[in-house]
Amino acid sequence: MTEAALGFTKRLRLAGMLLIAGLIVEGVCLLWVRPVTFILLVCGGGLLCAAGIVVYLYSLVSAGEAEPEP
Amino acid sequence: MHFPTILVLSLIALSAVLIGVLVTRPGATATRGGKMLAFIVLFLLPSLCMTMGVSSELERSTSTDFCLSCHVMESHGRSLYVDDPNYLAAAHFQNHRVPADHACYTCHTNYAMFGGFRAKFNGLHHVYVQYFGKPHNPIRLYEPYNNRECLHCHLGARSFEEGAVHTADPDLLPAVKANKMSCLSSGCHDVVHNVGQLDNVKFWKGDK
Repeated sequence: MTEAALGFTKRLRLAGMLLIAGLIVEGVCLLWVRPVTFILLVCGGGLLCAAGIVVYLYSLVSAGEAEPEP
Repeated sequence: MHFPTILVLSLIALSAVLIGVLVTRPGATATRGGKMLAFIVLFLLPSLCMTMGVSSELERSTSTDFCLSCHVMESHGRSLYVDDPNYLAAAHFQNHRVPADHACYTCHTNYAMFGGFRAKFNGLHHVYVQYFGKPHNPIRLYEPYNNRECLHCHLGARSFEEGAVHTADPDLLPAVKANKMSCLSSGCHDVVHNVGQLDNVKFWKGDK
């Protein structure tokens, strides 16, 4: 496996972990109707998911840059 | 649990499982189909989950249970069950003049253009004060109660427009409609929550 592919896999895993963490936070927050869960959902779950998506998009862009021209 | 919440939770579970598969088998993204699946699983599904989650949570934040889940609101919640028709909030709640499961939000949202947004912003301030500050005792409104919130429902209603007390003085209704005289003025509808008197009143148990 090339270094670029390894980097892509690493970033993909990181994105997946962040997204799973964000989705778990969101799921737990949705089980309770409390003001603090609302804040946690938006600030905690939202930020984790946003970070996961950004890492995934970055991994796509960086993988595209690393690919050699045909 | 409401159906939309169950739907969001199911979608979250499905997304988490699919993301888990991609995390354990990143090689699956090598093919064109795998790349498309990764885009759906790592971008579209989480975005959809967050949008639906926030939307569901925003909707739930307008519920009476949500408002009364703060300790500081406990006495206001009890005041909705006072067995006395002179208690304005209790009379509206018990007779379903406002939706019982959205009672607080119905009367305490300002019905101007950005009313919902302001209510949410004030809600964030309430959460901050609840956990990091000291709530006023007793709690109070940010600004005097605006008749607009009452007129949102009562304007044009026969009991309001033709009520004996309302029409006794021809200047009364125009003043009320222009918010120059409050509906909650002394001698009118001045008993609202009266949480200070809750130890001396009877309570209705019908809807509990």
